[in-house]
Amino acid sequence: MSEEKLIELAKTGDRDALRDLVKKYEKTLYSFAFKICRNREKAENVMQETFLSMLRSLKGFDGNSKLSTWLYRISVNHCLMSARKAKKDMFVEPDDDEELFSERHAADWSTIPYKSVENQELREILDRSIDKLAPEYRIVFTLRDVQQLSTEETAGITGLSVPAVKSRLHRARAFLRNEISKEFQR
Amino acid sequence: MKFENVQCKDVMVYICENLKEDIDSERCRAIRHHIETCGSCSDYSASIECIIDWYREYDPGFSDELHNNLLKKLDLE
Repeated sequence: MSEEKLIELAKTGDRDALRDLVKKYEKTLYSFAFKICRNREKAENVMQETFLSMLRSLKGFDGNSKLSTWLYRISVNHCLMSARKAKKDMFVEPDDDEELFSERHAADWSTIPYKSVENQELREILDRSIDKLAPEYRIVFTLRDVQQLSTEETAGITGLSVPAVKSRLHRARAFLRNEISKEFQR
Repeated sequence: MKFENVQCKDVMVYICENLKEDIDSERCRAIRHHIETCGSCSDYSASIECIIDWYREYDPGFSDELHNNLLKKLDLE
């Protein structure tokens, strides 16, 4: 059954259609929320709250955007609400291009082994590096690079301008590269 | 943007627009040309692609328990 038909049925309260929509997006939304919140309990809560919002507001969904885009937008809002409860000084906002650029040359990536992310050491390094990155930057990096949405879709979901998305993306990437390099050089 | 005018710093800033994409603008052609001929930028580009691939492959998993908790919360059991 097409997604349009499922949405149409779900709007009438059809429980099978609602379950099918949940089944279709639950793993994607959980993985997305985990990659932003970096905590299983928070990710589960964000996923649940996103679907609760969907159930409450589905009748108002006009189909002008994709359902996935709409769900990402709700999820991003819940992730940000969750992040606001955390201490600000837990995160780094990489907003200094000069510093990122100078660190780029200090980082010797040639010593980094190109391992699979299943490798425990690499996973821990990746965890520590991403944990430091401010959630606002993680969101852009995850939507654009991991979920592979376009710059315009990412801008629409986050409420940022296209130049702001590009700026946060390149800073997030440069920050992660520098952090991972530092970790490997320890 | 002319080929000879591209600096390493431009690559870092604009790489987000052409990494893994095939945008055929003059600027993107110039940046691609720079990456191909500059060892530092070529390494930088490869390392960013590597990080992206790692985080794409990063799977937090999804258990039956998570699914069942969700359906219960949504009253869709």
